[in-house]
Amino acid sequence: MSVLAPIICDNGTGYSKVGFAGNSDPSFVFPTAIATRGSASQSSNAPAVPSKPGHLASKRGVEDLDFFIGDEALANAKTPGYGVYYPIRQGMIDNWDHMERYWEQTIFKYLRAEPEDHYFLLTEPPLNAPENREQTAEIFFESFNIKGLYIAVQAVLALAASWSSNRVTDRTLTGTVIDSGDGVTHVIPCAEGYVIGSAIKHIPIAGRDISQFVLNLMRERGEMTAVPPEDQLRVASKVKESYSYVCQDIVKEFRKYDADPYTYFQRYDGEHSVTGRKYSVDVGYERFLAPEIFFNPEILSSDFLTPLPEVVDETIRQSPIDVRRGLYKNIVLSGGSTMFQHFGQRLKRDLKQIVDRRLDDLATASGSSQKSSGVEVEVISHKRQRYAVWFGGSLLASLPEFYTSCHTKAQYDEIGPSICRRYQIFGSAT
Amino acid sequence: MSNVLRPYLAAVRSTLTAALTLENFSSQVVERHNKPEVEVGGSKEVLLTPLTISRNENERVLIEPSVNSIRLSIKIKQADEIERILCHKFTRFMMQRAENFIVLRRKPVQGYDISFLITNTHSETMLKHKIVDFIIQFMEDVDREISEMKLSLNARARIVAESYLTAFNS
Amino acid sequence: MILLEPHNVIIQTTLSEKITKPASVDVQFVDYDGVRFHLSTPERKSVLLLSMHIRCWDELVQYGAIDVLRREYGALLQPQPEPEYSVSLEIDLEQLPASPEDRDAFVMSIALFKRNALAAPFEHAFASQKGLESAATGSGELMQIHYRDEEAIYIQASHDRVTVIFSTVFRDETDRIYGKVFLQEFVDARRQPSIQNAPQVLYSNRDPPLEIRHLPDLRNTEDTGYVTFVLFPRHFGNATVASGTISHIQLFRDYLHYHIKCSKAYMHSRMRHRVAEFQKVLNRAKTEVATGEKKTVSGRTLVTR
Repeated sequence: MSVLAPIICDNGTGYSKVGFAGNSDPSFVFPTAIATRGSASQSSNAPAVPSKPGHLASKRGVEDLDFFIGDEALANAKTPGYGVYYPIRQGMIDNWDHMERYWEQTIFKYLRAEPEDHYFLLTEPPLNAPENREQTAEIFFESFNIKGLYIAVQAVLALAASWSSNRVTDRTLTGTVIDSGDGVTHVIPCAEGYVIGSAIKHIPIAGRDISQFVLNLMRERGEMTAVPPEDQLRVASKVKESYSYVCQDIVKEFRKYDADPYTYFQRYDGEHSVTGRKYSVDVGYERFLAPEIFFNPEILSSDFLTPLPEVVDETIRQSPIDVRRGLYKNIVLSGGSTMFQHFGQRLKRDLKQIVDRRLDDLATASGSSQKSSGVEVEVISHKRQRYAVWFGGSLLASLPEFYTSCHTKAQYDEIGPSICRRYQIFGSAT
Repeated sequence: MSNVLRPYLAAVRSTLTAALTLENFSSQVVERHNKPEVEVGGSKEVLLTPLTISRNENERVLIEPSVNSIRLSIKIKQADEIERILCHKFTRFMMQRAENFIVLRRKPVQGYDISFLITNTHSETMLKHKIVDFIIQFMEDVDREISEMKLSLNARARIVAESYLTAFNS
Repeated sequence: MILLEPHNVIIQTTLSEKITKPASVDVQFVDYDGVRFHLSTPERKSVLLLSMHIRCWDELVQYGAIDVLRREYGALLQPQPEPEYSVSLEIDLEQLPASPEDRDAFVMSIALFKRNALAAPFEHAFASQKGLESAATGSGELMQIHYRDEEAIYIQASHDRVTVIFSTVFRDETDRIYGKVFLQEFVDARRQPSIQNAPQVLYSNRDPPLEIRHLPDLRNTEDTGYVTFVLFPRHFGNATVASGTISHIQLFRDYLHYHIKCSKAYMHSRMRHRVAEFQKVLNRAKTEVATGEKKTVSGRTLVTR
């Protein structure tokens, strides 16, 4: 290996996943947060850094190196003088100054890589503005002098990550991606590696809402009295991560619990983060109710009522007709909030029902004796789902084609940031 | 603003104000086209005499008026290698964002660092004296910014070197 | 963060994680100067194999790297390195120091793997200076470490000092100019009374310093520079000072490049600020404000970001 492994950087709204290509897990996962010195009253989207580019500030010099990122940023949140900022909002970079310094420390402090020796693969949300991509390129090529850059759409990487599943036989980049992280859930159709922007749908239910829902359920049952208030949300999300699963039938599941509570109720043991006092709580119905809000959103709120399978169906029906079969056949899950047990099976069953019912209705309405051969619905779950986007990047960046698809420093110097408007799909077998 | 700079800027200001008498003018060559004539340069009769205002050999402004557009190019002071690279960086950074600066040209005219193109559409939708104000303010600030950037680079280098060497003492 | 840390964070975090919860692992990662690591569990979950590839390994071995590593890691050092790598350590998670402090210290020592390997020529030089001191004349062997493709460290001991020379190459025009400013400050900074005790720094562009002028494979181009550090016995008098000096001087190139990049990032944020200011001035010239919100045919609102 003469070239050093490319660096994969997936900066999400909540967490950043960074690491080297060829590995199966990111080397670092930490919050996309930066703690800088500066008055907290400064609004975070103003260019806060050279707050007073007067003579004093410019002569002093290195205040801009005084900052922390990731977990250290949150640890320093309480330190007087520091303010914590989240440079990414809804998937898009909001504060370039903070982001540039965030990358700076990611590379030099955590990865300990000399950026001049590495290729980089970055990710972007669907429908990212090309200007954002140009600014990213500007930072990476001009500040960091990187060797080459590839900016990939997150959904496409999630599709690539599903190639690792043994259920996937052909390496296609056509499929529907359900990407559910901490903040928001997207349903994104992709055809041959290109996102069908007009059909993307958002669901306002994601990890944070599920944790809150679990918390509410447990509070109502009075479990949370033993838990210190500042730990409650953390306990709720822990419960969600460790005990939740998707059931096939909610009524039956309730009955099962009531008939035999001792096998189904679980205990969660925690420890107070400051005093070290032990406590334990019972975990009950929220085990299957929590993920259920994807399928019956009315139990959470009355604002959003469309179940996930229907949203997926709608998305696919809004896509061009010639790719719909491909989209039904390859539904890929990505992100932490799709990690619930049996999530894929349930989604597949519900979606299949919707599609079959429509075909039947069609057959009756047309009165014809001919019957459709049916539509194949397949939901792919795989082991790497949690960091699917990062893993897809790692997979693609270890292909030899990666280097030829990258924009190199020489090209950048020749043409300028606009080279990043063009982007080349590679790696798919079709 | 320093007193030495004032006459230079005053000259630019009055020349630019005088030159900003633009009118809508359709192309004489291609039907239904309306292009900035100073850029097309096809018909000599609509171009006016270009004018250079120099402060010294390194700082000058070129104003090229025409019937419906005016092109203004600035050569920014660059005393040494550092200022040259900083100036290059800064103008490129700005031109990269030319979309937002509607009067900014994406590429400078040869021999200059940055160019503006003001057409009759601009002078109709925007206040003329404010456009002139912008150009003057730009010229004023850009010099200061570049020298400040140079100072801060030196200051940083000093701090960086000191903290590296101080660490040997411990 | 002004100074870079000598240890590798990935080794540190991964190892501490595996100590608390052994699991199979197979990761590859890097460190500065093209050093590659491979951390894996080839046989059992509790036995980790950490291999390092370092491009100047042959040179380091010549200057006693094996001895230094054996001193640091003892039996952990594997006689036969993993294929494609220069040197390997085997860490048995079941035979670790018991107390948490010792454990942290152990993890830290592993995370300093690269630092220790690169320390060999420096220690060698410090030792030979001691030997030459009594003679009060003469100079030791000139050691060359080609730690990067185009750059090298040269170390030479003489009776009263150890000279360390870094050759630097800047691939980018901007970097070259920034680098010059920085290196000039390194030379000048020592005039400050507070850091009189620091090593003397010399910088020459293009022309190699006397000590290495006779070497055949030196580049002589505009983008090459030579930085000379003159270390006096006070910088390596006792063991702790010496090891601090070694960790510190090793990272010189990375430190320099890190700060060049930080300065560029800082310039970017200044420029962003200034461009936003200009934008405000220009916006004052606009007469009409965009009125009302625009709607699409389907009644959705257009939002401009």
